[in-house]
Amino acid sequence: MSAILQLTLYLALMASISFGGIPPVLPDIRHFVVVAHGWLTDQDFANFFALAQTIPGPNMILMMALVGWKVAGVTGAIAGAGATAVPPCTMYYFGYRWWDRFRGAAWQQVARASLAPLTFGLVIAGGAVMAGTVDETWVAVGISAGAAVLLLATRSNPLWLLGAAGLLGALGIV
Amino acid sequence: MTAAAEASEPPLPASLGALFCEFFKVSLAGFGGGVVLAHRVTVERRRWMSEAEFADALTLCQFLPGPNVVGIAVCVGTKTRGAAGALTAFFGFAVVPAAIGFALALIYLGQTGIPLVQNILRGISAAAAGLMIATGLRLMNRHRRDPRAVAVALLAFMGLAIARFPLLIVLGVMAPLSVAATLFVRKTLP
Repeated sequence: MSAILQLTLYLALMASISFGGIPPVLPDIRHFVVVAHGWLTDQDFANFFALAQTIPGPNMILMMALVGWKVAGVTGAIAGAGATAVPPCTMYYFGYRWWDRFRGAAWQQVARASLAPLTFGLVIAGGAVMAGTVDETWVAVGISAGAAVLLLATRSNPLWLLGAAGLLGALGIV
Repeated sequence: MTAAAEASEPPLPASLGALFCEFFKVSLAGFGGGVVLAHRVTVERRRWMSEAEFADALTLCQFLPGPNVVGIAVCVGTKTRGAAGALTAFFGFAVVPAAIGFALALIYLGQTGIPLVQNILRGISAAAAGLMIATGLRLMNRHRRDPRAVAVALLAFMGLAIARFPLLIVLGVMAPLSVAATLFVRKTLP
């Protein structure tokens, strides 16, 4: 089996079981492409991860495009990104239609009441974990806290808040 | 304008062009916290979904595999314009930004890091983390008087952010517990 086909099938499988997003299956993907097949070095894998974090857009899809690019050039990049994005998006599409069809059903109300607060807790936790990772200085902590308070208190456009924070960063004080 | 007044106004039309442009912008400005901007666009600006429908879509995506924020785009596209809308939102959110990002990455891989860009990104990612916390709190606002919901959210938060359990474990343990709590409350408080 060609490398590109192996990579595509493996990434499609990983994307299909990646509950909670791609990051939880990254260790498995690393093992497959670095250790088992030697398509990338550990350094490549780490660089692609860091790079994908700093470029706006869907960063895990971009990261898998870069992994695919290393394996088989531009065709590999398209295969890597497609294998990561298409299976979950197919599930989102059919999942949403299925959920919509049973709108108002008793079991759905129980599921909603139970799972919605769980999801919201996880969103808040995701923000807290991210803050813990990226906030290396007290100024950065202040920016995180300030952005949260401003969004809640003033309903200001998040893009202005992100822009202002970028400006503070550019001044070199973060 | 109050939240109630916003919600009572009719949704703006969801043309395929608008779906593409909005989710393209959400994606490029998302920085890991795309859910913040997706909420802003979908619920507040375009009113394509109510607060409750958005919460539903977010919950559904959380319990399906894959990059969850892409799922929000697909759900909003599906709700407003069916399969064509889902495909358009997917292209706007994922395909085109990933292609641009890929080109940028190849250029960047030829250089070494530019300090100014890194400084800007440090500021932006700090704000993005704070915005994500605020969005979660705002979504939680409707449930603030429901002790069961607050307890579930708090336990999920502590499991992930403080105890640092893997997400799959938190979901696997908390989802059945939360369903059991809901059923118990419904039986004891008719």
